[in-house]
Amino acid sequence: MIKIVTPITKELINQLSVGDMITISGFIYTGRDAVLPKIVDLIKLGDFSKYDINLKGSVIFHTAVSPAGVGPTSSNKFEIESSIPELSKAGVKIHLGKGELSQETIAALNKYNSVYAIIPPVTALLNSKTLSRKVVAFPEFGMEAYHLLEIKDYPAIIAAAHGKSIYDGK
Amino acid sequence: MMVNKLDIIEKVKECVIIAGSAFSDDKKEIYGKAIEKETNASAKWMLETTLKNALVAEKNRSPLCDDSGIPHLFLEVGPGKNIDGELLKAIHEGVAEGLRALPGRPMAIKGNDIQRIDQSGGLDIDPGALLPSPVLIKPIKEDILRLHVLMHGGGPEIRGKTFRVFHKHKVSVVTDEIIEWAVEAAGKLGCSPVTLALGIGRSHFEATSLMMEAMIFGNHNIQSKLEKEITEKLNKSNVGPLGLGGNTTALSTFLKIGPQRASGVRIVSMRPCCGIEPRKANVIL
Repeated sequence: MIKIVTPITKELINQLSVGDMITISGFIYTGRDAVLPKIVDLIKLGDFSKYDINLKGSVIFHTAVSPAGVGPTSSNKFEIESSIPELSKAGVKIHLGKGELSQETIAALNKYNSVYAIIPPVTALLNSKTLSRKVVAFPEFGMEAYHLLEIKDYPAIIAAAHGKSIYDGK
Repeated sequence: MMVNKLDIIEKVKECVIIAGSAFSDDKKEIYGKAIEKETNASAKWMLETTLKNALVAEKNRSPLCDDSGIPHLFLEVGPGKNIDGELLKAIHEGVAEGLRALPGRPMAIKGNDIQRIDQSGGLDIDPGALLPSPVLIKPIKEDILRLHVLMHGGGPEIRGKTFRVFHKHKVSVVTDEIIEWAVEAAGKLGCSPVTLALGIGRSHFEATSLMMEAMIFGNHNIQSKLEKEITEKLNKSNVGPLGLGGNTTALSTFLKIGPQRASGVRIVSMRPCCGIEPRKANVIL
């Protein structure tokens, strides 16, 4: 088990391989269908001045944040998967979700030194490892707003790294 | 019918909390067996983590999944028991209280018909605003009223299917078709291993009702020859937990076969329940 603490360095990403089991601690962002394209728009505008967001070395977890807790939604939904290349280019190091990604997305992850990890849909367990949560952007999306979570030891498995996927050959 | 409204609300509330937060004993057992048998390291870890999650959820009485599900209700009615509007109202109030206490994900869509389709009316922040499905009612010999609550997540709804099968007077034609559907559904579900719920009937409504019964009365420790056969074939697909491969694509099959029409067609309803489903509990009212 590899223990990872945010922010994440380029050197750490270089050491990760498909199939590695990891735990993640520190501060991570959340976003899914509604808000991730908005974050991509901000990147393209180059203006985060209104928000307290730092994507360098960050993790984005594809989830809503509701009173029921958090849990991965499918990362291959169009709005989510299509945001991954731009977010990686802007410094996101781990995209956390579930489901198989396309070869194009896996290539983009490799190009920008980023990886994709699958987190099991284990809401009760994740709630017990979530220390704090707050909305940092786009509160109008409610539970799908861009949140910042403080977490301790979220479990995950590296599913795409350095051009390879855990789904290869299946 | 005179009902103790507060008593009913409290019982239904508790039933919703258990359905949303606890694995049944047979499900814990089947997970234990699957972990023992699984040879793929990633798959084994996924199964272990899912079981650990269930134990935490049960202890904390908190949701197994952040998609806490849409409540579906099934009422068994004994020969001397009556159902009236007051009882149904109390059941609905109990469901709302249960969703607030769990707490369920607030996912009721506000607005008129059109707004509820395109979601332009926004979400209701009250978890209890999520209305349950219509109540299925079945007479039983035992003289009791027993309510079953099922919490249906969105993923299995996306991958579920109700469709006709031309059986050609062979059971294998029907099961082969089911397996073809199920392998595709399990692969795309993202939250395997599945428990495959199946109903076979004369109409789409009836097949779906039978599939609901299959989920309610299905037991991982009591599997018919046909159910075992379907599960074994699914487990040869190498989908595995969360699609990561391995020999645990399905935990079990829950199949309910109803009366059939004299014709060449059977209506099959399939729900590939995700790794935490069927989420269910029951209570005698």
